Amino acid sequence: MSIMEYNGGSVIAMVGKDCVAIASDLRLGSQALGISSNFQRIFPVTDRVYVGLPGLATDVTTLRERFRYRVNMYTIKEEREIEPETFAHLVSSTLYQHRFGPYFIEPVMAGLSKTPSGGFKPFIAATDLIGCLNFAKDFVVAGTASAKLFGVAEGLWEPDLEAEDLFETISQTLLNAVDRDAYSGWGAIVHVITKDKIITRTLKGRMD
Amino acid sequence: METSFALTGKGYVIVAADTTAIRSIVKMQIDQDKIKELSPHLLMAYSGEPGDTVQFAEYVERNIRLYQIRNLYPLRPAAAASWIRRSIAETLRTRNAYSVNLLLGGYDTSSHTPNLYWIDYMGTVVEVPFAAHGYGSYFALSLLDRYHDPEASLEEGLATLKRCIDEVSKRLVVDPGKYKVKVVDKDGIREVEI
Amino acid sequence: MNSILQRYSGSNAGGLSKSTIDEDNDFSDAMWGSEAGFGTLAKGVPGFVVPSVPDPAAFLRLHTDDHADPSCRIKIQHGTTTLAFRFQGGVIVAVDSRATAGSYVASGTVKKVIEINPYLLGTMAGGAADCQYWETYLGMHCRLHELRNRERISVSAASKYLSNLVYSYKGMGLSMGTMICGWDKTGPAVFYVDSDGTRLKGDLFSVGSGSTFAYGVLDQGYRWDLTDEEAQELGRRSIYAAGHRDAFSGNTCNLYHVKEDGWKFIGNYDITKLHYEGPGDVAGSPGHGYGYDMRVEGRSSANPPEAPAQA
Repeated sequence: MSIMEYNGGSVIAMVGKDCVAIASDLRLGSQALGISSNFQRIFPVTDRVYVGLPGLATDVTTLRERFRYRVNMYTIKEEREIEPETFAHLVSSTLYQHRFGPYFIEPVMAGLSKTPSGGFKPFIAATDLIGCLNFAKDFVVAGTASAKLFGVAEGLWEPDLEAEDLFETISQTLLNAVDRDAYSGWGAIVHVITKDKIITRTLKGRMD
Repeated sequence: METSFALTGKGYVIVAADTTAIRSIVKMQIDQDKIKELSPHLLMAYSGEPGDTVQFAEYVERNIRLYQIRNLYPLRPAAAASWIRRSIAETLRTRNAYSVNLLLGGYDTSSHTPNLYWIDYMGTVVEVPFAAHGYGSYFALSLLDRYHDPEASLEEGLATLKRCIDEVSKRLVVDPGKYKVKVVDKDGIREVEI
Repeated sequence: MNSILQRYSGSNAGGLSKSTIDEDNDFSDAMWGSEAGFGTLAKGVPGFVVPSVPDPAAFLRLHTDDHADPSCRIKIQHGTTTLAFRFQGGVIVAVDSRATAGSYVASGTVKKVIEINPYLLGTMAGGAADCQYWETYLGMHCRLHELRNRERISVSAASKYLSNLVYSYKGMGLSMGTMICGWDKTGPAVFYVDSDGTRLKGDLFSVGSGSTFAYGVLDQGYRWDLTDEEAQELGRRSIYAAGHRDAFSGNTCNLYHVKEDGWKFIGNYDITKLHYEGPGDVAGSPGHGYGYDMRVEGRSSANPPEAPAQA
């Protein structure tokens, strides 16, 4: 029994055309036993950055509190909102601080970063549980269904998807991948971040 | 074979825990109260590692009381759950972690809502309409999926609890024995006989 | 241990150095033709090829699934929920259809009810191959019993036959927990048989990782005088309960009803569909989804005080 699989759950993030999406299932389990079908593990960091925290559920809450504290301190000191790239390094350094007794979480981040010309550029990243950053151009996955998510995403993802198409792609990828994973599922939630709005939808998924 | 249940109903939370203290293969006590009354509208059932349970429950009890003395009002259930979670999570990676599973049931007098929190020994918290800890959860949760009603009267709620207790007595290898049952609602806490 | 192995490993087990590559040579000619394919029966039990290592049982244990070692080479199907119960109107048999290998859902369309003959059903939990093989083999024997004795085998005798068979392989890694269900001269009957050699007669059994969840619903709704519709609904609802709560059970529910004139397949129900919409237009349907959120939709445990009447 792996501690990373104790509570179950998975997160995926994808890049689209001037938008990004991040999605997760809603199961919280205690090994094979399902406890809750409404466990949120994706949290807003700013208006344009979201973070997903798959892994051990207690650390989901602990890390969310920690990130909120550090992001608030950053905002106060810098007098501006944190950019996704900076947040990714904040996540990485927080995790590496616990190199020899890690939090059992593999965070996934998605956001839009400001460009010098005043536009927005999609940004996604993921790290392992001790903070090794992985900046991807297409999609990132983590959690108990990560292997299955990779497979489905490789098949469905294509470049420059518009927001609604990206929503469909990430939703289908997540739903079909978690159906092949015993520890993920029990409903899902998707956030699509565009420059002027955030679309959040709860999906009906398989409930077994 | 420690077992505890809790369920919400129309304006109340019922919390039940078995009353047996086991050491090795021996029953040491058959009338132990494993439900602490933390504040006028807050109940906590605890189970887990012997020693840790009572130590932790008393620590929580005193601190919740201290908050009430300092601020002249008690913590609301959600805030109490948050504080208790943190107490567990902060000791988790130390050499003296508390191995305690909790069911925190409270009545929020501001929002007029009964709240129930399932908390495990690692500090995982979820708010649920009904919950169980121990081997009993493997029998009771499916039963509660079928019979639990958030608008049930107290009598109906206690009847559903009785189903859980009977089912566990029937199927679990070692019958947890007697249960202590407490209810919290707008009028406060009281113990009920089943 | 190896003495038992030698008994069952056909002509091959004696010499460990002998090649096992040419497997056809291990079967006697009697198996084909002259004994009409029932050659294996003559010896009582069929022969098997065993690995040519000093301790074949240890070799198997090393490479097969174990909860302690998820990285093992061969994974045997584990998670399951199956149930069967006897009532006034016969026997209800209901099972899920999920097969998992570790956390991977290997299949969602497994047939876990084995139709031994028109009057006998067997359920499958544990090793899929073990259940399939031995229950099919049991079917052969039940037919032979019919031919020899000019009457159908009793459920008791059939289950005892299976029990004795698997007991003779005890310690060699067979893994099965099955319910043999049917209708005979004595009426409806259910027997639990497992690879430890346990054989129990009873009214109500559930086997598998999700069995506790099924029991929770089943025990509370069970009565001897259930109507056919109520009984089918109870079987379906119990499998749903397990499919919902247990990570290793789910996908679909297969429902059978055994009556005096043999078993009848009632239907295949998608567990997610049961959750959201219920079983549809069938006898005993509650008319809404089984899911907790569906059932209590719009109901709230909050009790805000009545707004004071306007003066």
